[in-house]
Amino acid sequence: MSVATMFQAGLPYLVLTSGILVVMIGVAIKRTHAVAAVLTIITLLVTILSHILAYGALNDGVVEITSLFKVDGIAYLFNVLFLLAALVVAFLGSEFLNQRIRFKEEFYLLLLCATLGSIVLPASVHFASLILGLEIIGISLYAMIAYPEKARPPLEASLKYLVLSGVGSTALLFGMAMIYAGSGSLEFAASLPADGSIEGQYLYLIGNAFFWSGIAFKLSLVPFHIWTPDVYHGAPSIVTGFLATVSKGAVFAVVFRYAIEGNVLDSGSVQLALTLIACASMVIGNLLALLQTNLKRILAYSSIAHMGYLLIALLLVESNSAFGYETVVLYLIAYFLMTLAAFGVVSVLSTHQEHELNTIDSVSGLFWRQPIAGVVLIVAAISLAGIPLTIGFVAKFYLFLAGIDGGMWFLIGALVVGSAIGIYYYLRIVFTVIKKAPDDSEAFTGLPWTGLGILTFLGVCMLVLGIYPRFLINLIHNVVQIAGF
Amino acid sequence: MTTAINIPLEHVFFLALILFLIGAFGVLIRRNIIFMLLSLELMMNACGLAFVAAGARWAEPDGQIMFMFILALAAAEVAVALGLVVQLARRFETLDIDRAEELNG
Repeated sequence: MSVATMFQAGLPYLVLTSGILVVMIGVAIKRTHAVAAVLTIITLLVTILSHILAYGALNDGVVEITSLFKVDGIAYLFNVLFLLAALVVAFLGSEFLNQRIRFKEEFYLLLLCATLGSIVLPASVHFASLILGLEIIGISLYAMIAYPEKARPPLEASLKYLVLSGVGSTALLFGMAMIYAGSGSLEFAASLPADGSIEGQYLYLIGNAFFWSGIAFKLSLVPFHIWTPDVYHGAPSIVTGFLATVSKGAVFAVVFRYAIEGNVLDSGSVQLALTLIACASMVIGNLLALLQTNLKRILAYSSIAHMGYLLIALLLVESNSAFGYETVVLYLIAYFLMTLAAFGVVSVLSTHQEHELNTIDSVSGLFWRQPIAGVVLIVAAISLAGIPLTIGFVAKFYLFLAGIDGGMWFLIGALVVGSAIGIYYYLRIVFTVIKKAPDDSEAFTGLPWTGLGILTFLGVCMLVLGIYPRFLINLIHNVVQIAGF
Repeated sequence: MTTAINIPLEHVFFLALILFLIGAFGVLIRRNIIFMLLSLELMMNACGLAFVAAGARWAEPDGQIMFMFILALAAAEVAVALGLVVQLARRFETLDIDRAEELNG
C-alpha cells in the first residue's frame, strides 16, 4: 500500500483534524459566536465532501492505514452519517447556545472533537484505535453535557456519565488486556487464542466477558443501563441527541468490526450472552419506558430498547455478514433520523423557555400550538414505533428479515413483544401532541427558522425514505458488496 | 547485571483483578466524588498492569504502549473530572454524590 494511497484514504480524518485546529485558533484569537459556528459548519461540510475524493483511493475496496485502521466504503458510509448528525447538532446547538449560554465557542470545539472520535471508530481494527476513538468521544461528551454553566442537572448528569462511562472503559481495557494475553496481538483479526491451551481459552472467554460488559455500558444495554435515563434527562437536549445517536452509533460500528474481523461470535458463550442481553434490553427497556412521564426519559428507555434491537443484526454477522451489515447501517440511519428529530423538537421548543422542556405535558396540544414541530414529533414517534410509511418500519422490517435469516426465533419473539409494548408509549406521545391544547398554554412563537427548517428536513426524510426506501437500500447494498462482504 | 525474574502470568493477572475489584467496589460504595474518582483511577491502573504483564508474556512493547495510552487517558479524564468537582462544590456545596441527587423518577 503506497503512502499516497494511505493519505488519500485517510483524507477525511486529516481534514477534520485540521478543521479542529482552525476553529481552536479562531476562538483563541477572537471570540465570535458566528465565526466559530460558520467555521465548524464549513469544516463538517468539507470533511463530508472529502469522502468523495478519498473514495477514489479504494480501488480494491479496502485500504489499510497501518495496522490500526482498515478503511472501506462501509466505514465512509458511517462517517458521513456521523458527520451529517454532527451538522444537525451544530445548527440546532447554535440556537441553544444563543439563548442560554455565556461562553459559546468551546461547544463547537468539543462537538468537532467528539465527531473526530466517532469517525475514527468505524475504521478501527485494533484495540488501541478502538480505545482512543472511544475516549475522544467520551471526554468531549463529559464537557458537552456539563456545558450550561449555572444549572444543576447537567452537572449531575455529567458526573454520573463520567464515573459510569469510566467504569465501562476500564472493563473494556481489562478485557482487551486479557484477550491480548491469550492471543499475542492487539489486532481484531488475530484476537483468537494463539494456542489451543486451556489457559488461552479461559483468558479469551473472561476477556470477552469484560470486553462486552464494557461495550454494554457504552451502549446502555440491560443490565448496564442504569445511567441512561439520568444522563439523558440532565443533559441539554441537543447534547442528548448527539449522545444518543453519534456516540452509540460509533460504538456499534466498531463492535461490528470486532465481531466480523475477530470471529468472536464463533464462541457459543459470547453468542448466548449477547442473545440474553438483547432480549433483556428489548423487553425491559420498553417496559420501563411505560412508567415515565418525562419525555427525555421515555426516549432514554426507548434508546435502550433500540440498542437491543440492533444486537439482532450483530448476531447475524456470524452466518451472513453482508446482510448483517446492511441491516445495521439501515437501522442506524433510521435511528439517527428519528432520535435527532425527537430531541431536536424538544431543543427547538425550549428556545424561549426559562428551563428546558422535559415533561410530556409540556408538549400537550403541540400540534395546535406549533404545527411544524408537532408534526415532526408525531412522525418521529410513529417511526420509532415502527409503523408503516416511515423509515422506522423499513428498518424494523429488515431486522425481522435478519432474525429469520439467522433463525433466531427467540430474539424475534422478544422483538415482537418489545415493539408491541413500545407502541403504547409512542402512541401516548402522539395523542398528547394532537389533543386539544390546554387553555392556559401559550403558543410557541418566534422559534428560530433554522431550527424549524432542520426539523422539517428530518421529518421529510423519515417519510420519503419510508415510502420510497429503494434508493437508500440500493446504496447500502452496493457499498457493502464493494467492501467485499 | 540484570536478571529477568520469571513471575507467572496468572499471579500478575490475579493482582490486577484484585486491584480492579477493589476499585469497582470503591466506585460502588464510596459516596464522596473524590474517592470515586480515586477508585476509578485504581481500576485504570489495574488495566495498565494487566497490559504490561500481557506484553511481557509475548516479549512485545505493545502492552507498555497501551499502558502509556491508559496514562494519557486517565490524565485527560481526571482533568475534566476535577473541573466538574469544583463546579459540584460550588453549585451543590457538597462533594457527596447522594446529596447532589436531583434527577430521578
